[in-house]
Amino acid sequence: MTSTFSMDWLFAAIIFFIGAYCMAVSRNLIKQLIGLEIISKAALIALISAGALSGNTNLAQALIITVILVEAVIVATGLALLVKAYKVNGAIDIKKLNNMRG
Amino acid sequence: MTYNLFIYIIIAAAAILAVTAGKMLTSAIMLAVASIALSLLLFNFNAPWAAVFELSVCAGLITVLFISAVSLVKKEDESLKESRGKFLLLPFLALAAFITFSVILPPWFETLSGYAKYPAGEFKVGEIIWNLRSIDLLGQVTILAAAVFVVKSVFGKRSEQ
Amino acid sequence: MTTELLSYSLIPLLSALAIPFLGRKNRKITEILANVTLLAGLANLAYMIFHPMNRNSGYAVFSFDGLTMSMLFTIYLVAICCVFFASVSGMVKSEKNSFYPLVMISVSAMSSMVLAKDFFTLYIFMEALAVTSFALIASEEGTLGIEGAIKYLLLTFPASALIIIGISLMLLAGGSLRFDIMSQSFSTAHFAALAFITLGFAIKAGLFPFHFWTPDAYQGAPAAVSAYLAGVVTKISGMYALVKICMAVRLFGENAHAISSSLLLAGVITLVFASIAALTQKDMKRMLAFSSISQMGYIAAGAATLNPIGILGAILHIFNHATFKTVLFLNSASIEKSVGTTDMRKMGGLEKNMPFTSWTSIIALFSTAGVPPLSGFWSKLLIIISLWITGFKFAAVVALIFSIVTLAYFMTMQKKVFFGKPKEELKEAKEASPSMLAPAVLMSLIIVFSGIFFPYVFDFLEKTL
Repeated sequence: MTSTFSMDWLFAAIIFFIGAYCMAVSRNLIKQLIGLEIISKAALIALISAGALSGNTNLAQALIITVILVEAVIVATGLALLVKAYKVNGAIDIKKLNNMRG
Repeated sequence: MTYNLFIYIIIAAAAILAVTAGKMLTSAIMLAVASIALSLLLFNFNAPWAAVFELSVCAGLITVLFISAVSLVKKEDESLKESRGKFLLLPFLALAAFITFSVILPPWFETLSGYAKYPAGEFKVGEIIWNLRSIDLLGQVTILAAAVFVVKSVFGKRSEQ
Repeated sequence: MTTELLSYSLIPLLSALAIPFLGRKNRKITEILANVTLLAGLANLAYMIFHPMNRNSGYAVFSFDGLTMSMLFTIYLVAICCVFFASVSGMVKSEKNSFYPLVMISVSAMSSMVLAKDFFTLYIFMEALAVTSFALIASEEGTLGIEGAIKYLLLTFPASALIIIGISLMLLAGGSLRFDIMSQSFSTAHFAALAFITLGFAIKAGLFPFHFWTPDAYQGAPAAVSAYLAGVVTKISGMYALVKICMAVRLFGENAHAISSSLLLAGVITLVFASIAALTQKDMKRMLAFSSISQMGYIAAGAATLNPIGILGAILHIFNHATFKTVLFLNSASIEKSVGTTDMRKMGGLEKNMPFTSWTSIIALFSTAGVPPLSGFWSKLLIIISLWITGFKFAAVVALIFSIVTLAYFMTMQKKVFFGKPKEELKEAKEASPSMLAPAVLMSLIIVFSGIFFPYVFDFLEKTL
């Protein structure tokens, strides 16, 4: 099988960019968390591709399993905080969180 | 190669749809589509365990979490219409970025791939998880315990009120 | 990971898991268990460190490394002070059976981070630490804490993705993620990996362009938690890894100097910016938060010189920062309890009513500003010397000038809060109870003694590093 490394990383870069764009422009906290998820998909692609190229797929697999678990925990925490913010503020608008810059 | 390219295009398209979707529910579902495509990719990379985890945790659990959170904050959906102008910019930006990326980055990635070094020996996934990286299991236990107490602390009742 | 030292991370974890079951009936048991676990760990560590027999005997087989031990000692010291303060002051409003386990889990995660021998292990425990910090920041009712927590979450996870990309490059280039193996061979791929990882950790440490979550988090969190976060959590989760990277980069020689120079630049900008921002603050906790950011700048600049003196200075400054910032945050909590606010415009002349709080604050702030012979002076001196001798003379001068600025804003704070004419409505303000003062007094004693006996501390660290 020919190496697809540069294509993998090209797409990882693009997907990372999409996620970062989502986090930069969106006001909605749920959208921001979705942006986080997209970024972490890019990281997973980078990881498996590097593992496949250096013939170390199994180590990459072991790492990916852990990263997926961490990702799930982070999203659960983020959503818990979001629900609490919604209870306290009545909004999930990121603009309403910016009342104390300085 | 073509198969991988096809999957990558699905992931990227689903990600773009998730970013630009007007409804949060659509975003969550598009994210699930991206996860499913990623798990197909992992199968194709000969990483079945990781693919199964991606399918069950990311496409399953995380989507369920997102959908339940969306349904909890549902009435926000209407009031928080994004300024669509920003998102209309995305395709052009992405196109420009794609062109730049495909000119500049692949040669650099090719250089990087030249540095690939093969490890001393090949191990099975189980061996790696249980023997070589057993300390990561402690990390997983720690983070799961942390998650349990976080949820308890965020949703638990206040003692002095 | 050094398996022999693993008990420092396993015991707090087990204690955290046991607390909800044992403390279900009686909430006192929760507090006692948390305090006892940390105190036992601290006593054990102190015994290890101050008893040279244990280091050299054949019985102790673990690699005794000064960085690891001093970091473990710092973690346990700050944790016991903050937990003791939280349990005697009763200022933590959230449920006790989830607050104390969270602190214990974060102590466990930090110890594991310090003991970690490769980047991926570091990464997982760092995520566990971040997850516990979100909940600790948001444990106060009100919007500020939640705001800080959400900002932290949205900033820290992209940083982890960068770290993962760096780790995958490392996997590509060597098949191993260990610090020591990595430093034996060096290639462009390693350089790119280190660049990604350094960027990720710089974001997590709250260096200049990424600092904006820190003031919100520290101001919004309950004061005992702010002391804990500012004292150890953010230092360990970001700065420790950066110091570790700098030690690895030093072994690469000239190849990776671009990374360390940009880290040094970021450090200097951070310390300048945060000191200036601290001058204009009205709220005591927020000023302390900016001061904490500027001290991070010192640590980053010191570590990035790649000079042994600079790295030693950075490690010492992490320890010193933990001691004096804990004192200042705990004092702000005592003041908040007796006055009811942390707004400095509403205070004045508290010295007569709260003499101990005032004096421990003076010791801590002199140490922060680097007044001899307190401990903060020595670590800042080491950092500035190493900046000077590695050729960054301008940075050394800037660091020197801004340590005077530090003194300036802290003297303003001291004047506004403690000196001057007592305000009418503050006449009844009472000194905190002796048990609430105990952590601050203990920390002040440590500041004074580690300053006076500095040569011994230096010898100890220099030998083991």
